[in-house]
Amino acid sequence: MKLLTHNMLTSKCVKGVNVGYPLTINASDVRVADVDFNPDFISRLIPKIDWPVLYNAAESLGHVEDLPKETPVNYENNEEFLKKAHRALLEVEVVHGELVCPESGRKFPINNGIPNMLLNEDEV
Amino acid sequence: MEQVSLSKQKKIFRKLNKLRIALTKETGIEFSSCPTESLAVCNVGLANGLTKELLFEHFSKQGTLTNINLLPGKSYCFVSYLTIESAAKANEAFNGKLNIAQDNKPIYMLYVPKIPLVDNNDIWHELPPGLIVLKDYITSSEEKNLLDMHNFTNQIDGNMKHRLVKHYGYEFRYDINNVDKDKPLNEKIPSQCDFLWERLSNERPEFKHFKPDQLTINFYSPGHGSSIVMDFKNGDKHICVLLPQRSLLIMSGESRYDWNHGIVPRKFDVIKDPASGTYSCLKRGVRVSLTFRKILQGICDCVYTDKCDSFKSRGQIVENNVAAKLEKLHVHQVYENIADHFSDTRHKPWPNVLEFIQSFETGSVLIDAGCGNGKYLGRQDLYDIGFDYSAGLINICKNRGHEVCVGDCLNIPIKDNSADGILSIAVIHHLANKNRRLEALKEIVRVLRIGGKALIYVWAKDQLKGQEKSSYIKQDRKNRKSLYTQAASVSYETETVNLLDGTVSFPVHTNRTQFKTQDVLVPWKLKDENKTTFLRFYHVFENNELELLCNSLNNVKILKSYYDQGNMCIILEKINN
Repeated sequence: MKLLTHNMLTSKCVKGVNVGYPLTINASDVRVADVDFNPDFISRLIPKIDWPVLYNAAESLGHVEDLPKETPVNYENNEEFLKKAHRALLEVEVVHGELVCPESGRKFPINNGIPNMLLNEDEV
Repeated sequence: MEQVSLSKQKKIFRKLNKLRIALTKETGIEFSSCPTESLAVCNVGLANGLTKELLFEHFSKQGTLTNINLLPGKSYCFVSYLTIESAAKANEAFNGKLNIAQDNKPIYMLYVPKIPLVDNNDIWHELPPGLIVLKDYITSSEEKNLLDMHNFTNQIDGNMKHRLVKHYGYEFRYDINNVDKDKPLNEKIPSQCDFLWERLSNERPEFKHFKPDQLTINFYSPGHGSSIVMDFKNGDKHICVLLPQRSLLIMSGESRYDWNHGIVPRKFDVIKDPASGTYSCLKRGVRVSLTFRKILQGICDCVYTDKCDSFKSRGQIVENNVAAKLEKLHVHQVYENIADHFSDTRHKPWPNVLEFIQSFETGSVLIDAGCGNGKYLGRQDLYDIGFDYSAGLINICKNRGHEVCVGDCLNIPIKDNSADGILSIAVIHHLANKNRRLEALKEIVRVLRIGGKALIYVWAKDQLKGQEKSSYIKQDRKNRKSLYTQAASVSYETETVNLLDGTVSFPVHTNRTQFKTQDVLVPWKLKDENKTTFLRFYHVFENNELELLCNSLNNVKILKSYYDQGNMCIILEKINN
């Protein structure tokens, strides 16, 4: 699971949960994979994501490195920043671990990089 | 002695006075102080267990009856005689004396000028539509031949309760009110019966095609003589039909499918002669009925959907938990079992879906809601996430390097307003009721950002739209030549599924043919040694059904609605939250 995916996942479908976002990550296996860098792609993605959530997720995994807490102005032309964002968004992957609903504490396992977000009948 | 009689008369008088007041209050009925043809029996009726037969037994002794009126749930009733004299005789003989009221108490009666119009609904002068009674259809000697076909007498012993039964062709099962089509009996209808259908073909040419393959002979005890009254009920309409000995009753059309029929077990029937309006009584005796049926092979397409047992089981699942159980058994578990083989057959993307994906600009977020093996994932300059209920299929996606999770299209695990585009390709048709199909659409719209677009594909019921066969049908070589011929000649099996509140049976679709019903099970044959077959549930969509479903959402607009290779397809845009 890439952190960009984590940036979109929610447990709001659990009965009694209002927002269910962001999910806490408990990771037991984190890898960093090489992904081709496309600055245009990254700069168009950034407005679609919740930056503080990305920052906190990277930090909780110990991969924040020198990622800024906030997006700089005119980041479209800031290749150094876009590379850092690229790394956090697309290269850091949680292979094993779990996601935890911030409201209900419901845990969603991550195995082989795949979060299992299915709910039981009595949870919806 | 005189005094006792006097006090008794006083008692009757007091009693009648009380009843008169109570009945007037309840019904507003008028009573007559001098004798009339009609009497109200004020203190007993259907509510106390009184029967028309018992009333007839006693009251018919005093003269010819023209009406017996018992009202449901009431503790009073009415009888009418042809003459005032008969009514007066009955009054004299029974008032305060005949012990047929509750707990064997005497009945109390008053004259009424006329019986209230709130008639009971028993109808004697007409037949339900489609019902035909052919009197004296067979002669006495033919009757004897038919009775000799099967000898019940050696079965008559102490433990005979209600009736004896003999089946030919198929066993008619009274527990399910149906036959087991898959279990024909070795013993077919005896040839002694053939003359019946030759005769029918001459007398009633419209039934010349009736060739029964099932016969049940019922032998009812006791006594002798065998005419009977059969009751037909539809809503609050109740028609009584006299079936004379040696007659043929044909139940067709509405009378067969939209009316309940039955014969109430009783010792005798009270019969109203429609011509004279008078009642008579028929004592019941030994009765042998031969019921001939033609077993329907395939799916029933009758219009009597209220009472049709096949229609009820033709899907139309309403309850969510039942629908969920069906999806679990016949969608989720099937895909887990067939994931690898399914994936091997799913590699060629559909051009119109690709065109939709290509319409998004660089950096767009695209969700594939029910991504299967991920054949639409992987465009380099998009961020695409796929999810599917099948962990097996999601593993295949992951091994191909796609970003995926296991998820449910009814509870999409993605936050609101986050996707530029959503694909829902061949997913929603797996949901087993309308409410769930609508919920899946709502989930898609929730996840879309305003201005975001979704492409939805569902399987169409009509696989031959625009006179051109879909690629699905064309894949069967023998279908490439004859356009429509195969659609009509397909035979149907059904499969019964155990769900929460009992069983529901669905037609099993014959692959590469037109669909005949909307809710079907579609076989998937594995290429293993055993050719293991799995049945997937589908709800195939009528022409405008997907549009109607989308139009019921008030925050979307339909950009395009089209038919593509056997699928109903829609592109919609989210216009507000």
